[in-house]
Parts: sequence; C-alpha cells; structure tokens
Amino acid sequence: MLTGYQVTLRDVVENDLDQLREWRNLPEVRQFMLSDSTIDDEQQRAWFKKVQRDKTQRHFVIEYKGQAIGSANIKSRGNNIPIEQANVIEPGLYIGEAKYRQNILAFAPTLLLNDYCFNKLGVTKLVAVVKPDNQAALNYNAKLGYKVVNQGELIDISLNFEDYQLHTQQLKAFLSR
Amino acid sequence: MSNQQKLTEAFSQGLGIESKQVTDALTYNTIPEWDSTAHMILIAELENQFNIMLDTDDIIDMSSVAKAKEILSKHDISFDA
Repeated sequence: MLTGYQVTLRDVVENDLDQLREWRNLPEVRQFMLSDSTIDDEQQRAWFKKVQRDKTQRHFVIEYKGQAIGSANIKSRGNNIPIEQANVIEPGLYIGEAKYRQNILAFAPTLLLNDYCFNKLGVTKLVAVVKPDNQAALNYNAKLGYKVVNQGELIDISLNFEDYQLHTQQLKAFLSR
Repeated sequence: MSNQQKLTEAFSQGLGIESKQVTDALTYNTIPEWDSTAHMILIAELENQFNIMLDTDDIIDMSSVAKAKEILSKHDISFDA
C-alpha cells in the first residue's frame, strides 16, 4: 500500500471488480483508452485472474478520505521483466469519480506512483502512449514533465527523474501541506 | 476593497483572465487558463488577498469560484452584498 499527497493506493481485490468495471465502461473514461470497447463481468474476472499472477504489472485502487475514486497501474516495459527489476515503467490512471476528475487531486495518485517508481523501484524513466485527441492527458502529463518522443498515430511520451523533480516540486508542496 | 472585489482580483490575477470572467460558475480545468499551475498561483493570490493559510483539503476542494467563497467563509470571510 502506498500513501501520500492525501491519497492511498492499495492493491485491487476481488471486491473492487464491480466498481472498477463500472468506471472502466463509462464513455468518458474508456474513450481515451487504447482498448476502448466495454468489458463484461467475465472478461474482467479473467483479466483479474491474469494480473494477480503477472509480476510485470500491478494494479491499485485510489482512495481519498477512505473512498475509492479511481484506479492506477504500473506495467514494466520490456520482455517479461518483473516490476521490481524494471528500468522503464508505463504508469496508467483513471479517476472514476467525476467530481475528482476535474480537480487538482487527480495529480495526487500519479505523484505517489511516480515517486514509488523513481525512488523505490529505481526506474530510469516512465513512458506512456496517448491518443492524439486526448489533449487533457497530454496537458496533464506535460505538467508532470513528460516530453513527446514520437508522434505518429499514437503519441509516445517519456519522463526522466530530473524533469519529474523539476516540474512537480510546487505541486507536491501544495498537496502535502 | 470589498471581499467580492478581492476575490475577483485574486482569480483575475491568479488565472490571468478578465474580471468579468470571474463568476460563481467558473470551474477548474473548464477554461485553458485554469490549469494546475494557475491553480497554485490562484491559491497564493487568495492567501495574500485575505491574509490566510489554506490547508490541502481546501486547495483540493477549491474547484470553482462558488466553492472558493464557501471555503473562505470558513475563515470568517463574508461575501454578503
């Protein structure tokens, strides 16, 4: 479990699945996902069974004041590299509760997760793939220090530790008063 | 300067927008100017204007002008006409 910046990230458990699927299937959440079709109960349970055994990824529920508000995950980049040994990690996030989507709090789980990746896991960089029409995610990630490294049908962005530190100092201070 | 004028000034300066854009309905991330960076500048402006220190919960909750008034009222700052 990770705690900081007013939020907690805990591992997904079976009881979370209905809530996660409800959020995941919201048009406003899935429209910007690379796989944007809806998922059913059976697909989700199969996914949960798979990720429970998969050492290359980890999935969290985001909690704020004891209430689940969204989900975050990290996946190692490379050939079947366990999270603990990864040099490059791809984080993912969505805020399910609408009232926190348009809110500065949406940065908190990412700051917590990025700190964990850089400081605890010792990764050299974080990467993400964003749909070109997902301007909100591009803006959001630019605020965290991400830079565009490739622009094609999808946009590849990347973040190193120095840029991350430089861009998030003030934001971290505001969310840690 | 009235509290309403101070509030309008803080939003206008903090977000870099015209005073007439500062209405109760104005909400975080609904105009390009009110992004996360501007939000932090706004918080500093409000703290200066009203000589208060906001805590993190307030910073998170301050998602609109209407919400800002509600939060400031906890600091005994009134916006009655």
